[in-house]
Amino acid sequence: MDQNQRPKTLLDSLGEEIIRILAPVSICMFLVVLLVSILNSNSSTSVTSIATIAYAETSSDSSWDKFVGALLNSLAFVAVVTVVTFILVLLFYLRCTKFLKIYMGFSSFVVLGFMGGEIALIFIEKFSVPIDCITFLVVLFNFAAVGVLAVFMSQMAIFVTQGYLVLIGMLVAYWFTLLPEWTTWVLLVAMALYDLAAVLLPVGPLRLLVELAVSRDEDIPALVYEARPVTHRDSGSGENTVQRRVWRERRNVRQDLEDNLNLNGNVVSDANSSVGTVQSSHNDTRIARVEEGQVSERDAELSAPLIDHRMNGQDGTSAESLVLEGMGLGSSGAIKLGLGDFIFYSVLVGRAAMYDFMAVYACYLAIVAGLGITLMLLAFYQKALPALPVSIALESICQQC
Amino acid sequence: MEASQAPSNATPNPNPNNDFTNNGNSILSSTPVWPTIDGPFGLSEEESLSYARRFYKFGYALLPWLWAVNCFYFWPVLRHSRSFPRIRPYVLRSAVGFTVFSALLSSWALTFAIGGERLFGPIWDQLVMYNVADQLGLTGWS
Repeated sequence: MDQNQRPKTLLDSLGEEIIRILAPVSICMFLVVLLVSILNSNSSTSVTSIATIAYAETSSDSSWDKFVGALLNSLAFVAVVTVVTFILVLLFYLRCTKFLKIYMGFSSFVVLGFMGGEIALIFIEKFSVPIDCITFLVVLFNFAAVGVLAVFMSQMAIFVTQGYLVLIGMLVAYWFTLLPEWTTWVLLVAMALYDLAAVLLPVGPLRLLVELAVSRDEDIPALVYEARPVTHRDSGSGENTVQRRVWRERRNVRQDLEDNLNLNGNVVSDANSSVGTVQSSHNDTRIARVEEGQVSERDAELSAPLIDHRMNGQDGTSAESLVLEGMGLGSSGAIKLGLGDFIFYSVLVGRAAMYDFMAVYACYLAIVAGLGITLMLLAFYQKALPALPVSIALESICQQC
Repeated sequence: MEASQAPSNATPNPNPNNDFTNNGNSILSSTPVWPTIDGPFGLSEEESLSYARRFYKFGYALLPWLWAVNCFYFWPVLRHSRSFPRIRPYVLRSAVGFTVFSALLSSWALTFAIGGERLFGPIWDQLVMYNVADQLGLTGWS
């Protein structure tokens, strides 16, 4: 029925795929910039958290003091992240998936409920919105509960799940921008380095997690943004059926696994090829604030490569080599992007928004260029590629200007 | 609400593998095959039934937004009034529940916001959110 239709070129489908992943990243960044510019008129906000236990930055310290303090903070942060990740690996090894699932749902509820609630409270106080506490509590409870269900259950409306993932990324990124300035920059670099180390070193927790998941042929629990798969009009009905079935199979496998926040993980799939490939995502952790006696908790987010054997059997290609970092290729033609990347990019842009808007624009261009380049390279090489270095390189160049 | 137990006139094929060929030839081309808004990426009909029922029941825990998401997710069921007779009651009741609850909540919120102190007296100050947040010290960092 489609003989008259021009077959889609690589650029057509790739362009659509890129748009489908660039749009939510841009929306997340835009929302964070909006929040920062609206809510941050006062510069003296000090947030006590794990990321600032070693050193609380004040504006009167010298640059070297600030740098050393930020370094100590980042080291403390990375140390806690490592410990929690190892605990997660242990739990995964002991197959305590139920506990992990409950814990992940609980942490999503904390992010959406408490962080979202506090940001809403700041907004209300700033603009003196005459809302009463009953309405506020009901609305917040609804928002958080449906959000937990959306990211928890693998079969919710795609639009709702994507929307909530973007919102979670936005909330965490905004919270990160409240950290002191030097701490933020050094922390980002430290997390990127930790990520590389944890994935590449044979003793790294992420690598252990990957190998565990691969050996058991299980899915790694992670909060991953999954774009809607591109349907090919020019393929026959048989292939569509196969793709659909594989999509559903994958989602069923993931149904009884919990979700974690997924930082620095980039998984891109090539819609044109129906090759079973490797997805990789990265571990990361998220912090809850320590304030007024609230216990601070860390959530370790897991990421690991997955091998999907169940793709279209016509290729006969077996599983690709394990690629442990950066971007990979997913199955069933859906682009997946780790939520950590959302947060990473949004924190960068949000920080830039505290200076002026030209910096925001430059950073946004750098990030989009980095992401686009990585996606293009992924499509051409069909291998996993690290997504962060390109963005970081462009970003630092822009910062120097 | 129509008699929901009557056998359906539309025949949504529960076997998803044949649906593409069947739907192309079907005379009832307005009949949706997939009960969810995601189409082929969504749920099959049997799973949809359990999901719709579960969303509807959870919505009673003061979650009208869940009812709204339920209606959004099963929008083809609402739009085509003769399809999916088993799912439709739950989605309809979710829609009704959402409208009733949101009408109540918004009327209360608007009364509170517009009436203000003139209507409520001193208790308005005790109920309004920014005062409550100040009292409880919820935004201790600002």
